[in-house]
Amino acid sequence: MNSPNEDPNDNSRRDFLLSSGGWLSSAWIAAHLPGIAAAAHHAEQMPAGASGAHLQFFSAPEAADVEALCSQIVPSGATPGASEAHAVYFIDRSLATCFAEMAADYRKGLGEFQSAFLASNAAPSFGAASPQVQMAFLKTTDRTPFFETTRMLTVLGMFTSPKYGGNFQAAGWELMGFVDRHAFAPPFGYYDAQYQGFVPYAADKSA
Amino acid sequence: MGSGAAGGVIARELSQAGFSVVVLEQGPRLGPGDFEHDELKYNYLSGITCDPKVSPQTFREDASQLAQRPPMGNSLVYARIVGGSSTHFTANYWRFHENDFNERSLLGGIPGTGFADWPITYQELEPYYTKVEWEVGVSGLAHASPFDPPRTKPYPMPPLPVKSSGVLLERGARKLGLHPFPAPMAIVSQLYRGRPGCAHCGFCIGFGCEVMAKSSTLYTMIPEAEATGRCEIRPHSYVYHVALNRRGRTTGVHYFDVDKRDQFQRARAVVVSANGGETSRLLLNSQSGRFPQGLANSSGLVGKYLMFNQGSQVHAQFEHELNEYKSVQVTRILHDFYDADLKRGFYGGGGIDARMGPQPVGWALASGAELPRWGAEYKERLEGFPRAMIAAGHCTSLAQETNSVSIDPTLKDAWGIPAIRVTYKDHPDDLAMAKFLQDRALEIMQAAGAQKAWRAGQRFARGGVHLLGTCRMGNDPAASVVDKYHRTHDVPNLFICDGSSFVTSGRGQPTMTIQALAFRAAEHIGRFAKRGEI
Repeated sequence: MNSPNEDPNDNSRRDFLLSSGGWLSSAWIAAHLPGIAAAAHHAEQMPAGASGAHLQFFSAPEAADVEALCSQIVPSGATPGASEAHAVYFIDRSLATCFAEMAADYRKGLGEFQSAFLASNAAPSFGAASPQVQMAFLKTTDRTPFFETTRMLTVLGMFTSPKYGGNFQAAGWELMGFVDRHAFAPPFGYYDAQYQGFVPYAADKSA
Repeated sequence: MGSGAAGGVIARELSQAGFSVVVLEQGPRLGPGDFEHDELKYNYLSGITCDPKVSPQTFREDASQLAQRPPMGNSLVYARIVGGSSTHFTANYWRFHENDFNERSLLGGIPGTGFADWPITYQELEPYYTKVEWEVGVSGLAHASPFDPPRTKPYPMPPLPVKSSGVLLERGARKLGLHPFPAPMAIVSQLYRGRPGCAHCGFCIGFGCEVMAKSSTLYTMIPEAEATGRCEIRPHSYVYHVALNRRGRTTGVHYFDVDKRDQFQRARAVVVSANGGETSRLLLNSQSGRFPQGLANSSGLVGKYLMFNQGSQVHAQFEHELNEYKSVQVTRILHDFYDADLKRGFYGGGGIDARMGPQPVGWALASGAELPRWGAEYKERLEGFPRAMIAAGHCTSLAQETNSVSIDPTLKDAWGIPAIRVTYKDHPDDLAMAKFLQDRALEIMQAAGAQKAWRAGQRFARGGVHLLGTCRMGNDPAASVVDKYHRTHDVPNLFICDGSSFVTSGRGQPTMTIQALAFRAAEHIGRFAKRGEI
């Protein structure tokens, strides 16, 4: 470490500042957050309608169980659910990239989840069980850390940017009625369209 | 140190006053073209905030526990870029009220706490609040709230367009005899000083503004400081030690540059504005023979009295679409419950605002005893997103010496510098006040005609974004770290100004006051320097 009396040499810093114009581009983010870049890259490589051949982290049986679990968290129906949004593919890729540090714990939790299911059910796997059986089992395990993590990853897989591999064809945003735009103009909704303006309290006898 | 809400103001004020200023900022410099609508990156992968992978922290509730790294994210969250947390804040810009500064005298002491008066009054700070509104750029409607403190000037521009959440809060609150009013926001509602009015994209909270409408120091104070030709903003400069000479004066700071090379910046005076977490960490890590327990820490209070601001939420769903994902977070608030009322049986006060809450992921992840978490009912809630809003309570946190930022005995960051250890447990009155506001928010939503209303879960805070109180201001050197001018009691040319200077927490929206303090501090630092008193 330099001593307090050592002359500072600022040239390199000033050169850097000048050469970058003081404004670093988004390339900095890619360089410093490799997990983000890797996740986005994997997502871009993933073809629409991905199959087990494209899995990065899960085995096919693991993916089937997680897929079924995601579909219980946000079921399919008249509007898209986790399955239509390809949430399981987001989870798969995130555990291989940006959430890799939690991958071992997740796999352990999944194993315990599967074992617990098989210990109390006749179905060959959670994914192969009927929706009613799945639901009944989840009611006994929906406070576990594994379930909470899966719920979080399912939500991320449904509602983050499609560039990460989930939210396929913006199915999650369609479900929520969310529109990602860079500008909107008032009125924004039904109630503000009806608004007559702020009435000051000094003139508001009823207040 | 630090280019955020306080650091940016001080840099501009001192450079415009003729001083040479170098601002050392931990993070990179980004611009409007670099910011994105990306919830995963910004909210879950530390896109612009302190990254636990390289800047880890530990947490414990009290000293009896072994502090551990939180499973996801850090306890103390702040933006690590030029502009600091003013780049990603929500931009609620309430002034503190007069009683925030002398509440201890008004109410008496609270056993087991460090509840105290500030050494300054609202009247002393009022001109600087006005300066923030005009120099930084705040939208609002003066005198709209009957509870507003005195002001000498109106806002420089009108409030932002009301959203449906604001209309509904106003409707319900007025029915109950309450007094909602247009929210003051540090987001420009129209062209102001070369910055365009808000584009209403909806990505304010946790995100950098893509059109420069949010009045971050990145877009306001810092360019104006640089325009003087006397201020250099130096990104990727991570200060880890404040140097001290034999006479007990600081000579400058040691820092790592972008290549992790050790550098030294000499200075006539050092101002630390690194936020209520990092400021304390820097001082505690700057030990010396004269200050074995950390620089400027003869009181032993550096890092103590950490306050986060408690809060609570009610989720509500209405018949028609609100589309809250559009535009700014907040357009209506109320301060009817701002003052503490000991008849409630506990200390505390706060405000309630109408907001959309977070973007889709954060909104969908909200959980609580009354919120469905999975299955058909959960999906029904998700489908109700366009018709949903949140009524949020924001309130006091009591200063407790046991709540602190300290140095973890073993954990170090990616630069080898000892990491932050957070010790925090809410005072029971903080939780009681949050619950009180939640009850009122529920009544308001019901009065507004909500089809459904849920209470979000209420729990002990395990972290926060309002990092307050850890180098508290005071007249007594034995009971505070800085004096009323932000000069440390122990080192005459070392100043601290950020959320750490707070004596009490206010009611939940501290940045306006941080910046008013910064304008005032800069004025005094400049005067001291010109009089040869530094």
